[in-house]
Amino acid sequence: MKMIHASILPTLALLVLSPQAALAHLVTSGLGPFYDGALHLAISPDDLLGLVAVTLLAGLCGARAGRLTVFSLSLSWFIAGLVGLNLPVTIDLPWLSILSFLVLGVLVAINPKMHPKVVASLAGLFGLIHGLFNGSALAAIGAGPLALTGIVVTVLVIALLISAFVVSLHAAWTRIAVRVAGSWVAAVGMLMFGWLVRGTG
Amino acid sequence: MKIHFLCRKDVRRMIMTLFVVFLFAPVSAWAHVESGQAGGFFSGLSHPVSGLDHVLAMVAVGLWGAQLGRPAIWLLPVAFPMMMAFGGMLGLMGIPVPGIEIGIAVSGIVLGALILGETKMPMIGALIVVAFFAIFHGHAHGTELEAGQNAMLYSMGFVICTGTLHAIGIGMGLVHRWKFGRLALRGAGSVVMAGGLYFLWGALS
Amino acid sequence: MRRYLVLMSAFFMLFLAGLSGIASAHESQPGLLEVRQLNTNRYEVIWRAPIYYGKPHPATLQLPEEWQIVGEPTARQLSDSALHRRVVEVPGGSINGSIIRLPGLEATITDVFVRISRLDGSETSQVVRPTLPFVELRGERPWYESSREYLLLGLHHILMGIDHLLFVLGLLIIVSGRSMLIKTITAFTVAHSITLAIATLGYATVPGPPLNAAIALSILFLGPEIVRVWRGQTSFTIRHPWVVAFGFGLLHGFGFASGLSTVGMPTSEIPLALLMFNIGVELGQLVFVVLILQLYRSLKVLEFRWPHWMEFAPGYTIGSLGAYWTIQRTLMMFAIN
Repeated sequence: MKMIHASILPTLALLVLSPQAALAHLVTSGLGPFYDGALHLAISPDDLLGLVAVTLLAGLCGARAGRLTVFSLSLSWFIAGLVGLNLPVTIDLPWLSILSFLVLGVLVAINPKMHPKVVASLAGLFGLIHGLFNGSALAAIGAGPLALTGIVVTVLVIALLISAFVVSLHAAWTRIAVRVAGSWVAAVGMLMFGWLVRGTG
Repeated sequence: MKIHFLCRKDVRRMIMTLFVVFLFAPVSAWAHVESGQAGGFFSGLSHPVSGLDHVLAMVAVGLWGAQLGRPAIWLLPVAFPMMMAFGGMLGLMGIPVPGIEIGIAVSGIVLGALILGETKMPMIGALIVVAFFAIFHGHAHGTELEAGQNAMLYSMGFVICTGTLHAIGIGMGLVHRWKFGRLALRGAGSVVMAGGLYFLWGALS
Repeated sequence: MRRYLVLMSAFFMLFLAGLSGIASAHESQPGLLEVRQLNTNRYEVIWRAPIYYGKPHPATLQLPEEWQIVGEPTARQLSDSALHRRVVEVPGGSINGSIIRLPGLEATITDVFVRISRLDGSETSQVVRPTLPFVELRGERPWYESSREYLLLGLHHILMGIDHLLFVLGLLIIVSGRSMLIKTITAFTVAHSITLAIATLGYATVPGPPLNAAIALSILFLGPEIVRVWRGQTSFTIRHPWVVAFGFGLLHGFGFASGLSTVGMPTSEIPLALLMFNIGVELGQLVFVVLILQLYRSLKVLEFRWPHWMEFAPGYTIGSLGAYWTIQRTLMMFAIN
């Protein structure tokens, strides 16, 4: 019992504080800031996992959910990104970022009946969080709205492709494969929580 | 819901998607190598295969799921990775689980026995059995990372490899449709059980 | 059924907005660095820095510290570039393993060709990209390393060539049916490969400014055709888009050739460079076509609906961008001459 307490306290402290901003640098693609932004998203696993999870979820909930999600996700990502670009501080809360894709992964895995508007709101919330992180990180390394545009266009393209792909699946086993993918995302999220507490993540 | 294992349209779509993914994959892979962290992904990918006890149990879960039929055959692969990751999370947080080595060896014996006896169980029961052992496996294996490697990529590799082992088990279990396949499966169960006994002996001595 | 292409065009607008910082969607000119051995210890270093969007190029040349500059370095201003020449004394006489840096290149999208010619008659070439703004001078390179460099060069060139992509997008909107699509894209590919080869092998050259104006004109040409498609009318282009794709493809091939400078390239390496550069271009084009078709299918699956007037947006957008570039580039052509 004592040991458990000993490990939970620093855990809580970490979850609340965790200011160690893992200062991401923008990878140069050699093709200008627009492609730099697109590439940045393509190699940021925590953004990407959540993006995959939320669009899989939208796809499972049908065409209307997919449509609304594509809009709410990219729009909120862009707006929050613009806000983030103009913030004086860099916001980086790894636990929130991990939590967001963990929850979305679990939702895909259990595949509950959800109203399209609920799915789209979740996607919007996710977009707000990550847009804000992206925007403030871009501001910290001196990148501008052009790189943000690259990120958002990539988000839009990925969201469209994945949700339409899931909507078009009909055989039962393919939908289960989608849910398994969701459980994998959730599993990575749990492990990442563990690493975060341990201080290696 | 009837499970069609060969729906040509879906297969074609899956292939098309994979093609699109591969078109873009080299770019990101290349960028990863440049930042020097790609090693994490591959060590995560290879880690679950490195221990025979682990491999045996993963495949056994798949075999048993195939024997149980629907809905276990699809509920287990959805639930299992999350439960194992939960065990891994406990391990990383430093929350101890007693008797790990013994638990892993026993999991081999129990799963082997269940397959050997073609034991039917209510869904909840099967989930609890598998979850119980999944936590031991996750606790023991999810936590080994070399210095300087990326934890995120390691975790992703680890989860992907475990899931694939599981899928291999289910794939093998599909022989359950035929009479000789059923016998072969029960035979495989006895092999898993023997393996579990061997590891138990190793853990105790 | 083509209404779904509307949103795609909206993406493209966003994409264009993204690139508008890079002004007139101009061909990006590569830089050139020549190192020529004069005698045992002396080398001549020529750095040709292209004009970068109307300004002197931000990259500078940083030679290894042990190289001593002999005499006065000279600088000459040309119409499209600045030429810096200097002679250096290299202790020991060997430049192999020396590292030349190009600080400032990482902030640009310029590729730099490096050519080294030695007294023994051997010539080698390398490419410096903005991602790694330095070059380690080497002797002979294995063929696969130079192949990889030229392939990436071609890929970069098409991804930055917004006017080529826009032309392909226009073709995709006009064609209907799979066989026509394959025929049209193949015609475009064959045509631009022919002229790319002709220009690279030096059989014919087209001066840059009129070429760019003509390429813009090819995009302008597609605008009215797209509107005609939506009105349900037909025309020669709509019935036989592959003919148009072939004709204008010849033009675009000359445009691609501007991204592959062969000045001073060892003659034996030109075929390989041409082949790999072309493969890179085709790969980039294939990725673009597959992406657009997949997006089109996705929009259909998700049942997007649009107001009627939006259906005309892609045609008018492509047409007006083509017109804008045509006028701008024609003016540029006369301003320069």
